[in-house]
Amino acid sequence: MPGFRAVLARLFTIQAAFTYERMLGIGFAFASEPALRGLGRRDGGSPAFRAALARQARFFNAHPYLASLAVGASARAEVDGVAPERIERLRSALIGPLGSLGDRLIWAGWLPACAAIALLLVACAAGGWAVVVFLVLYNLMHVGLRVWGLKVGWRAGVGVAGALASPGLQRALEVVAPLAAVAVGAALPSVLGWYPFGHHWEVFAAAAAALLFAQGVRLLQGRATGIVVAAFTLAVVVAVGMAW
Amino acid sequence: MNPGTFAVAVGVGAVAGLDCVSVPQAMIGRPLVAGFLGGAVAGGPLAGLAAGAVLELFAFETLPVGASRYPDWGPAAAGAGALAAQRGGTWDPAWMVGIMVVALLAAWLGGLSMILVRRLNAAQLRRRGPALEGGDARALAALQAGGIVRDLVRAAVLTAFTLAVGERVARHVALGWRAPRAVADVAVLGTALGVALWSAWRLFGQGRPRRWFAAGAVAGVALVAGLLAW
Repeated sequence: MPGFRAVLARLFTIQAAFTYERMLGIGFAFASEPALRGLGRRDGGSPAFRAALARQARFFNAHPYLASLAVGASARAEVDGVAPERIERLRSALIGPLGSLGDRLIWAGWLPACAAIALLLVACAAGGWAVVVFLVLYNLMHVGLRVWGLKVGWRAGVGVAGALASPGLQRALEVVAPLAAVAVGAALPSVLGWYPFGHHWEVFAAAAAALLFAQGVRLLQGRATGIVVAAFTLAVVVAVGMAW
Repeated sequence: MNPGTFAVAVGVGAVAGLDCVSVPQAMIGRPLVAGFLGGAVAGGPLAGLAAGAVLELFAFETLPVGASRYPDWGPAAAGAGALAAQRGGTWDPAWMVGIMVVALLAAWLGGLSMILVRRLNAAQLRRRGPALEGGDARALAALQAGGIVRDLVRAAVLTAFTLAVGERVARHVALGWRAPRAVADVAVLGTALGVALWSAWRLFGQGRPRRWFAAGAVAGVALVAGLLAW
């Protein structure tokens, strides 16, 4: 892929100019630009280069890490001279699957799993190492996905849909949900053992308070988020604690 | 907090806030990381880590999905971490409950401020519309740079707010606290763990993940028993 490193570096800014009108569109075009230079960039750009860039800047939305797959594929299609309507159809067709895949794989899987592992390490008195492990573990998947997506997208071009069914990706999806569930399940109670309570009975009091509070947030679902309810509750606790 | 520490903490919070959406989404803005870094610049990385770990429990509630509204934890956690480090290694539950109230407010405001930045981005986009439709690469770069600068300023302001307001509130609460310290401890961890429990249940409470979650919880309870016995 021409300009692979530049495209990869720019992919990390894909959400920088996020708007509700075009979502990731501007970042998408900005990332694609080095790969499109073969179409003629001198003197402000050839008509083909400028038309390709304008097309890439239109509405696009997906998971930011997996957008690399679409960037690679549509840049390849532009360079190969695929018809503009087909390129637009390709971009549109990738929005749903890449968003859904990224949400399941990263936001609902890998991120909670890594955060939970870090909390477990905090509970085991790992200190700053918990932060280091979290960042390294999380970003192995993060950077790996961006690199993989860009390479596979460029290689496959308009036939990129097949890459989404790759065995490695499917296997990762199968593994990540149980991993996250076990890690979060273990991390939540472990925090009770780490927190610097004054007495042992406070551990049980905090566990009971947590169960009650979770039930309260469940009942208020749709009317207020958990953090708003928590902020309000803690403000009441402050008032009570000071008026005691 | 001295002005030098304040300025560096604002810088850390700005980078953490920028990470959430704009650049590079590497989770530097997660509460655990930003809290630790905020604590480190104020001379108490472990106190910052403790504040970050509590905020991390709250952060389980919202996943940073695309255009959805979600709190921005980076500036709030960096500020909370720096403030937690102000007690010089002494755990003060009343101080902590004061910090948490302000950090939660800052995270919530952070979510609202992201919407404002997106609207400002859209205004710039409309101004540069013709150049963009003409495939002007410089217009693209200007839009990207503008978005980054706006997000950086937003996150810096939010961190400064957390530090300035959080220090006043925490000091006021710590001085005026009359209840047993257990009340503050149980309230802080009870609410944080409650939000995390509810969020975990929404994510893993159905189908096969439920069994994995239960198995993990059993292991976690065993770990707590071990830690308490130790």
